[in-house]
Amino acid sequence: MNLAANKKTLVASGAVLGLIAALLAYTGNPKNMAICVACFIRDTAGAVKLHTTGTVQYMRPEIVGFVCGAFLIALLTKEYRSTAGSSPMIRFLLGVIMMIGSLVFLGCPLRMVIRMSAGDLNAYVAFVGFFGGVYTGTLALKHGFSLGRAYPTEKTSGYILPAVLVVLLILSVTTTLFAVSESGPGSMHAPLLLALGGGLIFGAIAQRTRACFAGSIRDVLLMQNFDLISIIGGFFAVMLVYNLATGGFKLSFDGQPVAHSQHLWNFLGMYAVGFAAVLAGGCPLRQLILAGQGSSDSAVTFLGLLVGAAFCHNFGLAGAAAAAATADTPAVAGGPGINGQVALIAAIVILFIIGFSPRNRKN
Amino acid sequence: MRKKEWKLIVTFHTTADAIAFEKVCKETGKDGRMIPVPRELSAGCGLAWCAAPEKKEELQELAEKQSLLYEEMTELFY
Repeated sequence: MNLAANKKTLVASGAVLGLIAALLAYTGNPKNMAICVACFIRDTAGAVKLHTTGTVQYMRPEIVGFVCGAFLIALLTKEYRSTAGSSPMIRFLLGVIMMIGSLVFLGCPLRMVIRMSAGDLNAYVAFVGFFGGVYTGTLALKHGFSLGRAYPTEKTSGYILPAVLVVLLILSVTTTLFAVSESGPGSMHAPLLLALGGGLIFGAIAQRTRACFAGSIRDVLLMQNFDLISIIGGFFAVMLVYNLATGGFKLSFDGQPVAHSQHLWNFLGMYAVGFAAVLAGGCPLRQLILAGQGSSDSAVTFLGLLVGAAFCHNFGLAGAAAAAATADTPAVAGGPGINGQVALIAAIVILFIIGFSPRNRKN
Repeated sequence: MRKKEWKLIVTFHTTADAIAFEKVCKETGKDGRMIPVPRELSAGCGLAWCAAPEKKEELQELAEKQSLLYEEMTELFY
């Protein structure tokens, strides 16, 4: 079945993605995180002890599912192409930057849409930033920015990431090598097989439809094409209904779970993600899907996301969630500390250098 | 719904190549438009140039004259 045949099938595909996210949230994943790519890569980084923040450590089966779902469906439909060679170190850096931006905001574009569907107005501020970042990225493309073409490579090169992730998942289930949170978001998770199955189907559908949060806005800006954004529309609609039905919808800035109301940093965090995603050729979700269908360049971007997550927690770059005052503790405004603020500004400067350097314009 | 018919689809290795191709086509008054790469041709999420099939030679000449890079020119029922 061609899921990308027309807008109706794309909207329906997005709705199925939304149903999977809702099901995983209902069965144990953090409510308005559901299936956030950045959060789950961060949890995975914590599980393998790349960072030691006790509340965000869990080997997320969904990440394995995304990559392996895309891998299997690409093999089945003969779309698997092992490629590499398109500026891998720049892609690694873009992965790190996407993670810094995501964790300053507290969510990737996928979670941004989930939070929007739950009425979190902070996510709408972030969306404006994300749109601005994608717009800036398209300007860089129009100025001639390119990471260069990828070349066909040894077929097995593309097998490595799916294989490594499967091995890590097996180790997480059969040994005590990995860290597992006992409290906080890392302790909340759907049952293993459901999470893995959901991730596999999510990855397969995302591969077939080319779902991409940055690409959807890029296509609107560059071509006035609304195909990809139709998927996001279907996803948003289902999550909105789910949140309304389960009492998770609350239209406000304050009191949102795992969120903060530092508007400037929410805006800039997702600005960096949108900008970096256009330069890298896809949002964090799309990078996992491309890695699954054989792109070693996207696998390197995934490594950048993973290492970036570790940096964010080891060096205090991630934003803190706001918290109301209790009998024992004062209210916390949340948001990034000075380390995160400096890192994010530096990241945005680096994006401008990468995207608009004279060398790129000449090429 | 858009009616399907035979089209010439020009694909590219990079987005920058696609945008450069579009720019020259617009400057020289060539008919056509930018579209997402049709799924039948690629699992990527890049851009492609879509034009009438009879424009193939004209576009090949333009690409050669202006040193424009492209991957393939394919006729597709799109």
